[in-house]
Amino acid sequence: MAEVFNNLMLGFSVALQPSILAYAFAGCVIGTLVGMLPGLGPLAGISLLLPATFGLNPIIAIVLLAGVYYGAMYGGSTTSILMRIPGEAASVMTCIDGYAMTQRGRAGPALAIAAIGSFIAGTLSVVALMLLAPTLASFALRFGPPEYTALLLMGLFVLSYMSGGSMLKTLAMATLGLLLGMIGIDAMSGYTRFSYGIIELSDGIGIVPVAVGMFGLSEILLTAGQATPPPVQRPTLRQLIPSRDEMLLSIGPITRGSVLGFLIGIIPGSAHIISSFVSYGVERRMSIHPERFGNGAIEGVAGPESANNSAATGAFVPMLALGIPTGPITAVMLAAIMVHGVSPGPMLITQQPELFWGFVASMYVGNVVLLILNLPLVGLFVNLLRIPYSYLYPTILCFCILGVYSVSSSVVDVWIMLIMGAFGYLLRKMNFDLAPIALGLILSPILELSLRQSLAMSGGSYAIFLHRPIAVTMFVVAAALVLLALKPLVFKSKDWRADVGLDEQG
Amino acid sequence: MNSPQAAGRGQRGLRGDQLSGIVLVVIAVMVAWENRVYPLGSLAAPGPGYMPLVLAIALGAFGLLIALRGGASPLLNTIDWSETTHGTVAMIACGVAVFALERIGYRLTMIALLVFMLGVVERKRPLPILLVAVGFAFISYYVFATLLRVQLPQGPWGL
Repeated sequence: MAEVFNNLMLGFSVALQPSILAYAFAGCVIGTLVGMLPGLGPLAGISLLLPATFGLNPIIAIVLLAGVYYGAMYGGSTTSILMRIPGEAASVMTCIDGYAMTQRGRAGPALAIAAIGSFIAGTLSVVALMLLAPTLASFALRFGPPEYTALLLMGLFVLSYMSGGSMLKTLAMATLGLLLGMIGIDAMSGYTRFSYGIIELSDGIGIVPVAVGMFGLSEILLTAGQATPPPVQRPTLRQLIPSRDEMLLSIGPITRGSVLGFLIGIIPGSAHIISSFVSYGVERRMSIHPERFGNGAIEGVAGPESANNSAATGAFVPMLALGIPTGPITAVMLAAIMVHGVSPGPMLITQQPELFWGFVASMYVGNVVLLILNLPLVGLFVNLLRIPYSYLYPTILCFCILGVYSVSSSVVDVWIMLIMGAFGYLLRKMNFDLAPIALGLILSPILELSLRQSLAMSGGSYAIFLHRPIAVTMFVVAAALVLLALKPLVFKSKDWRADVGLDEQG
Repeated sequence: MNSPQAAGRGQRGLRGDQLSGIVLVVIAVMVAWENRVYPLGSLAAPGPGYMPLVLAIALGAFGLLIALRGGASPLLNTIDWSETTHGTVAMIACGVAVFALERIGYRLTMIALLVFMLGVVERKRPLPILLVAVGFAFISYYVFATLLRVQLPQGPWGL
């Protein structure tokens, strides 16, 4: 414990440097604005900002991008509550009861509880990250290729089971993402696959053009022609104070959301989006008056908001301890630090303590900055929503082109972004989830390498996965999820999606 | 109000999941066909064609199951495509802009794209269009190219 405390002090000595504080603040402000803008979620925001971090040192780069990440989480809740527009996907559940509270004149307390819940969850999850990541990193030293293969496959199954739509469709999208990751030079044989003579494709398809296309451009295509959003309410500081009852009702959901979100966040393959769905379902199930949900229940805001912020932090555990991104956002952040020659993985914490602990300490700082920013300044931030969308979306389009081009000064990347945007638009029209494509693309090279290494180790026998206890455990979890997904089809019962008001699709 | 599912239930016609399932199967077949040039290797030493083939088979199987189970999904003609025209115009404009980017430079391309989107598509008044287009092009160039030292293409007259 004393060692953790000493390390944390080292972290604060890094995070409280004026330059790092300034970048944490800038990241939080940019993130809040990005989260509020429809069409620019945290992933697109971080991807667009990535080129700007190339000239910075790795600590500042990761602090800035992390600030954007959890700033976007906060920002997304503001538009969800005030306008029923989820600035980013994780805020979808907040829309339901948050907007109902706004209609009843309780927008202020909803915003305050969302911010307080996010702050508490963010802080608790940083404590958990601080304690868990070093332990996991030492445990991960026992991982060989079979364990990594099992972990990645389990992650994809968890994502498929927990995603808002059909497991079958999610698995299909993950497979499509894995196939996209096959493009480019094969690391083991040197063959260039599926590049069709385009030199830029021999490096593979980058996550940034895919992420900006699928999550930014497709959103613009879906919303650009739609009617003007409803007028924005601007709560005053006094109106933000929740009542005693609202505070008491929120304690349980915030605590449960924090724990649940963190646990979901650390599993590779799952995401902050899922955690808010699950938290909403849990709160509705645990409530004595579930009929209040959908009509302005404060628990429906407190739980999901805490969960998505906690999951955002939890996602950093495998990223920092194992070097495995749990989703597209952490993948872009990994790319940001790898540009600087830092190799994430089990050795990062011991070899680069100032980076790891500086980052952890900056998260505490970021949470405080966001609480200060989001409560008193909410009236200022919502002014952004007064800009007519007909002006906003063409400039976001230009930002998408600029951001993607900037990463590698390649027009091919911008074409990929456009193609992925159109493809993402069609997929969303057909009710497909896009996150598995991005995750598959990121995990593809690691999965292929670890699978082929496992087979080479065993002389071509898949039984190697059965001889390794950690791998077996992970495969059992994956199999259990498949069985759970099949249960509603066999017994004609409802699955967890029905509990949170999502379509049950099997 | 009826959901697209409810609206399309009991009617005949191609459904969203049936079409998307078929498309996935087609993609899987195409990948498997293209993959034939890469050595599969053996189980003990899988070649570069091994993993793509496994994934193509998995994608084909998922696509087939999606198509077979697609009877309950909305009919294609009940899906709202009202924003598609708007989106298509935006995509074509972006495509032209990408084509022009390295030929006429970043700033001129952005000005042209914003003038087209705001003036022709959104029918805004000339002064705001000019302010937004020129302001965005020059401010973003200054921030990215000058302050952050990101390489952005220059066109004629150094623009």
